[in-house]
Amino acid sequence: MNFINSIKLLLPALIPSWNFFDVIASSPRIQFSLLKSENTPIQEWHEFRPRPMHLSFIQMLKRMLWNPGWNESLFLVSCAERIMGDSTQQLIQHSENEILKRIKKDLLQTESEFNVSDITYLQFRLIFVHRQGTELQKEVTFISRIQPLSMDNDYES
Amino acid sequence: MSLELAIRLTEVLMGFSFIQQSIEHLTLFTHERRLFLIRIILSLLLIIGFQTAWTLLLLLLLSLAILHRFQGPYNGGADRMSLLILSCLTLVHFAPSLRWQEVAFGYLVIQLILSYFISGWVKVINPDWRNGQALRDVFQFSAYPVSESLRQWSKSPRLLLSMSWGVILFELLFPFSLLSSTSLTFALVITASFHFSNACLFGLNHFFWIWITAYPSILWFQQRIFESLN
Repeated sequence: MNFINSIKLLLPALIPSWNFFDVIASSPRIQFSLLKSENTPIQEWHEFRPRPMHLSFIQMLKRMLWNPGWNESLFLVSCAERIMGDSTQQLIQHSENEILKRIKKDLLQTESEFNVSDITYLQFRLIFVHRQGTELQKEVTFISRIQPLSMDNDYES
Repeated sequence: MSLELAIRLTEVLMGFSFIQQSIEHLTLFTHERRLFLIRIILSLLLIIGFQTAWTLLLLLLLSLAILHRFQGPYNGGADRMSLLILSCLTLVHFAPSLRWQEVAFGYLVIQLILSYFISGWVKVINPDWRNGQALRDVFQFSAYPVSESLRQWSKSPRLLLSMSWGVILFELLFPFSLLSSTSLTFALVITASFHFSNACLFGLNHFFWIWITAYPSILWFQQRIFESLN
């Protein structure tokens, strides 16, 4: 573990800025595509973890104690912002890996609507949504590397 | 509230808050599971008061490893507040005298007050917050609303304008709540309700539990200030 790096990461917690929601910046969306080979042209982009249409108050109350999926999604928002922010190449790589790993986990571990048996590769892209005047604008800002979708040691990392 | 009681309450609340955060990670990846399982065990030791100073120090070292794992906080502000409380409590236990214990615990209180006041300040100087546009943007296109139906709130500009000013005013006025124990209790009920709303609407449940963890410190601080003035 790089101890100095961790101390650097700790400093913003000891001297916080507390400027929550000072400006409402562009907001990232993650979309992924499944490919049969590295050279297959992309057919379709799917939104990663689309939010439900409605949540009841009881469901909201349950999420006060148990909310792992949503908190993981918020972490991925941070990863997307790091990729597009003023980050080092190492941090961009880390964020890209985290997003790929968690899309893969969802596809392979949960009951996915996608039949992944004949799919071998995965790619994601970031779309940033922002308001220009009264209109919402969407902009593709990043396309990831193509990642093999095999059940490998990723679950150990 | 005595310093001793406030510190103990903060330790217990932080222990429960850390367990709540950590349990959520047990469904994820193996390496994460290991880190957060250790965090749960240390949090349980903290709650029962076993070797508190060393338990806090180990929790702080583990937090550095977790920061390294995610290359920063996993859940932004909630993780930063967790680290701040943990650091202040660790300093309290290793402080050489009562005065330095008060300084370390008082620093947490100052940051708690600033967490509201600065948040209010950055909003009031932003015209988009003053006219309600910023909150409309939050509901319309930010990543936070937990359901699509909540996005419809962006079509209620009067409601959002009132909510914007409600948030700005209570955040800016929060430091004045220290004037009496009654006003402070009232303010803490309001702020807890605010965090509860954020947890329901934006899924920020970690914020709710960790900010409440810091409340015993400000209850002690308010009493301590008035004692020293009399």
